[in-house]
Amino acid sequence: MEWSLATFHASGFVLAIVFFLYSRDALGLALGGLNTLLGLALFVALWATTYLTTCRAVAGLDLLREDDRVLFARRAFRWGAANGIAFLAILGLVLVASAVFVSPSVLLTALFIAPFALIISAVVGAVVGVIFVAVDLALLAVARAALNVR
Amino acid sequence: MPLDPHALHLAIRWLHVAAMATAFGGAITVFALSARTRNGALDAALVEVALRYEFLFWLAAGILAMTGIGNLAAFGSGLPLSRTEWGTTFVLKLGFVIALIVLSLPRTLAIARLQRSRSRPLSAPLQGRLRMMYGGTGAAFAVALGLAVWLAHG
Repeated sequence: MEWSLATFHASGFVLAIVFFLYSRDALGLALGGLNTLLGLALFVALWATTYLTTCRAVAGLDLLREDDRVLFARRAFRWGAANGIAFLAILGLVLVASAVFVSPSVLLTALFIAPFALIISAVVGAVVGVIFVAVDLALLAVARAALNVR
Repeated sequence: MPLDPHALHLAIRWLHVAAMATAFGGAITVFALSARTRNGALDAALVEVALRYEFLFWLAAGILAMTGIGNLAAFGSGLPLSRTEWGTTFVLKLGFVIALIVLSLPRTLAIARLQRSRSRPLSAPLQGRLRMMYGGTGAAFAVALGLAVWLAHG
């Protein structure tokens, strides 16, 4: 179940961003500055961090129980923040590593920005995590209704 | 040695098509099995096959999302605007794919729950529900495939 939830979260998040950007004609600009292989690697990185944090968020929980669902929401807030930080750390490392040989001063700038960026990524990750928990629980109710036949 | 961008985009397209074939063909296979199952042993096998399909479905969904964006990147600055005919169809396809992914999670969760209680045979209405879920998934993939063909050759 962790696998399907994690893939649902990673794919849903990225596709929602693509939908938003394309419907505002901003996608070409966003993709234009991205190397194809790097883009694929970043998606795999997001998929991996989302899988690891989803495993931690649902570990030992039975989502069919009311108490566990509340705990799941709390954990999603925490592990969503962790996912945001982990993905930003990977993204930051890739960007800094590719720029530092051209301009070494970028390292100082990155170190200055890093604390603020980590806080923002944690907040974004936590908010996205809570939104996805609400969606997950609603879809879990749909799954229970689908099996509830006489 | 620099990577040939044409070879890279061809590999991405091949992966996209392979993932689509896996998800589409798998849904049709489980649908066909659910239409024929009529006894306890086959019921358990059906749930097991469906569970294996769910793993592959989400693997394919992740690959389709990843390679789909890779395919868009191949357009570069030539990506048509959203108000063009191509753009409108693409927005429709993207919205349809997002809906397909969202509506697939209850199917996966339902199968995971069924697997827990697999000692009980599937009732005829439940079997009908499974048939409907996998038939619906197959039909949704057929529509997405139609839109993709239109986008590529229309």
